[in-house]
Amino acid sequence: MRERKKILKTISALSEIAALFRIFSAISMKMAGEMAIKIGMGLSTKRDSLKGTQEAVREARLNLQSQKIDLAVVFSSLDFAHVTVFRTINNLLGPVPLIGCSSLAIISNQGIFKHGLAIMLLSFSADIYFSTACVKEISVKPIADAGRELGEKLLYGFRGIRRDLSMIFSDGLISDGSSFITGLQEKLGMSFPLAGASASDNLAFKRTYLYFNEEVLSDAACGVLWGGKLNFGLGIKHGWKPLGKPHRVTKSTGNIVYEIDNAPAVNMYKEYLAYDLAKLRQELKHVSIFYPIGIYLAGEDEYLLRNILLIQDNGSLIFQGNVPQDSRIRLMIGTKESCLTATSQALNEAKDALLGRQLGCVFIFDSVSRYMLLGRQAKKELEIIKENLDKDTPIIGLYTYGEQAPLKALNYQGRTYFHNQTITILGIGG
Amino acid sequence: MYSSDYLINFLGIASMATIVSLVIALLAKMERLKQVDNLKKSLDEMDEQAKLIVRTDMELNKTQEELDKKIAGLYALQRLSRAISTTLEEEQIFQRIEASHLEDLAFEKACTFLWNEREKAFITKMHLGYSEDEIEQIKSATDLEETYLDLIKNEKTISSSSLQDELMLRGQIKGVFKVNSFVISPVLPKEGYRGILFVGTESIDTVIGEGDQELITILANQLGQALENARLFEKTWQAQQDLEKKVEERTQELTRALNELKVVSKRKTDFISSVSHELRTPLTSIKGYASILLTGKLGKIPPEIQERLDKINRHSDELVHLVNDLLDIAHIESGRLIMKKEVLDLKNIIEEVLDLLSMQLKEKQIDFSLRISEDANIIFADRSQIQRVFINIISNAIKFTSVKGKITISSHKSNKTMQIGVADTGCGIPEEMQEAIFEEFYRVDNLINQEVKGTGLGLALVKRIIEAHNGRIWVESKLNTGSTFSFTLPQST
Repeated sequence: MRERKKILKTISALSEIAALFRIFSAISMKMAGEMAIKIGMGLSTKRDSLKGTQEAVREARLNLQSQKIDLAVVFSSLDFAHVTVFRTINNLLGPVPLIGCSSLAIISNQGIFKHGLAIMLLSFSADIYFSTACVKEISVKPIADAGRELGEKLLYGFRGIRRDLSMIFSDGLISDGSSFITGLQEKLGMSFPLAGASASDNLAFKRTYLYFNEEVLSDAACGVLWGGKLNFGLGIKHGWKPLGKPHRVTKSTGNIVYEIDNAPAVNMYKEYLAYDLAKLRQELKHVSIFYPIGIYLAGEDEYLLRNILLIQDNGSLIFQGNVPQDSRIRLMIGTKESCLTATSQALNEAKDALLGRQLGCVFIFDSVSRYMLLGRQAKKELEIIKENLDKDTPIIGLYTYGEQAPLKALNYQGRTYFHNQTITILGIGG
Repeated sequence: MYSSDYLINFLGIASMATIVSLVIALLAKMERLKQVDNLKKSLDEMDEQAKLIVRTDMELNKTQEELDKKIAGLYALQRLSRAISTTLEEEQIFQRIEASHLEDLAFEKACTFLWNEREKAFITKMHLGYSEDEIEQIKSATDLEETYLDLIKNEKTISSSSLQDELMLRGQIKGVFKVNSFVISPVLPKEGYRGILFVGTESIDTVIGEGDQELITILANQLGQALENARLFEKTWQAQQDLEKKVEERTQELTRALNELKVVSKRKTDFISSVSHELRTPLTSIKGYASILLTGKLGKIPPEIQERLDKINRHSDELVHLVNDLLDIAHIESGRLIMKKEVLDLKNIIEEVLDLLSMQLKEKQIDFSLRISEDANIIFADRSQIQRVFINIISNAIKFTSVKGKITISSHKSNKTMQIGVADTGCGIPEEMQEAIFEEFYRVDNLINQEVKGTGLGLALVKRIIEAHNGRIWVESKLNTGSTFSFTLPQST
């Protein structure tokens, strides 16, 4: 009995020493001015994609105060989504691992641009590990398998190293993004932090692009897995509020909802909006963005949102993301104001999670729905983010057709969900 | 028995109690059911309200979106107008229309064709969102089609929405331009080629409203205006350029002529100058010998020879005078004679001159008057030269004025200069000769000149002297009434 006490005491003493050591090393690192991560941002809004690429890469290299480039993250508008652009980057940087995707518009410190390419170069200290991977031809295999494949590839070579975070980009036109995430989680861990964005196009919903090293891909996903001593904070919010009485999903599989309150699912929308089927189909883009359904999650501040992708002739609704049978759902309504409040909440959540550590850079995955809802006020959202950050914190972001991030409620153990209409803010510690 | 009675009684009471409690429970349940019912009712009511909210919100959002679109469109239009109206070069106007402007107007394809009447074909002036091959195809399709020319002729804008009843045409335009929605508006400058502006989008969601059609019509109008301005400017510029060229050529010709003239004039001056010099030397000897002979020191001279010698003496004096005048003119022209300017009293000078000429004045009984005001008395000039001026002009006046005539000298200030006039009541100078009298060796052909000798150099010399003082001389004259010689001199400062 006494011996046990002794052992416990030694352990606690040891852990105290370890804690002290950690603090000391952190202080000494700070004093030496060494950052665990170095960032170089480059942006071009030139119409000529090749000249633009060269300009952005040159700027990024100049801003990165390091000779060693570990990883490149690229977001661009559709006019930059061709192979020559990425061959050019490869020529200029050498064989640096690259991930990224296309977007309706790119977000950066300088503003929101409908045409352009943003590149972020990252250089890590020796105690941060990472690996990149990609999965192709998702549509020819069961979607969960594609997720598992990406997970396995990311994990390759990560044995014995603490895994911290994964960031993934996927084709925005994959119909069941939730199952892809489930597959990925089976490999990486159910409550493993994951931040993801689904690529977008110019709202034509025709084709979105993923960038992996020198390749430009569709029907694919790519990502990075970090391990070692990476500090990060994640915040995710949408700001939509429930309206009207609760409903119950009485019949659904995956992302198809057949019945709500024992009636064809589409009836709910018909009733709320007083639209007939034809009118509802005509206005679907608006209805889907302005009034998504919210799935109730016990213990969470916010509902999990789902946009309608399609109304089927039998009255069932296909959503972007799964809707489990027996879920309690509400019709949701959003305003510009609530949308912007959510933005600052998400940013604060991300900052809080970093416990006051300095931010190295910020990734923003912002839903295209928010871009459409905010309209001319989209710039305001970026202003809010910039106001709450240090002036030189590099910001890179895109508009997505879906976001993935963990909810923080304890019951869900930080499990990542496939979201619609949110702003996901990922802050990486410096 | 008792006990059974009790038991019965007890059972009865118990069952009563049970019934009562059951009733109470039932009542309570009913109450709760009622409450649930009420709750359900209020929930339903709330849901009805929610429906109202959603419908109103939807309307609001759509209106807002339309408004946003219109504002964005107006902004884009404003930017575009500024871009195209700040250039006066036709090609620049089209180059300034950028894809970003179009995007703000919610279109991604655009082109402008201008109709070349002579070639019977459209000229592509601008295209956005099309490759060169595509635009070539579109152009060849539009060349054959009357529809587009009719738009120019009728000054009419059409759009995919305005052609609801002409599905054939709409389909055809959509096919040619590879778009889903479009607006075509005529570009109508008053000068030169006219044409059409086409904008369109592939997007299925875009619905062209009246607002869009209006915006594009305004844009097309402004394009027309800008073209007109550019063309007018081009014309004016070209004309000005031609004019400048002509002026330049003429100036060169004149400069050449002037230079030649200068050379000739200099040669003349040099010639006169050297000839006069050469003449003066022998003249001096002639006059010298004549004078010596006249003194009689070389022997007595008979009266006939005396008379001839007097003539030689007088003529050589005149000749010397002539040569001196010539030399002075040459000197002034070549700039070798420097005017020694000083402050002079005008009255004083004139009086000195009058002293010299008093004999002639008396002879002809000329009424002489001097009208020089106090503020116009001081001049800035070379004393001896100005004296020569007055001697020449006044003696001319005396010469041409008949007996009992009148000569008036006046002076007045005019604009920082002094104007002096010598008026006589003489025979006057014919108008056509008034300019020529200032030329060398020019003599008016009249009776007096035939009688009185003169060199024809006096006024030429006067003119040179006045000009060397930065002044000007002219004559106003009427035949048989009189002449007024006026000249200006710088005023003393």
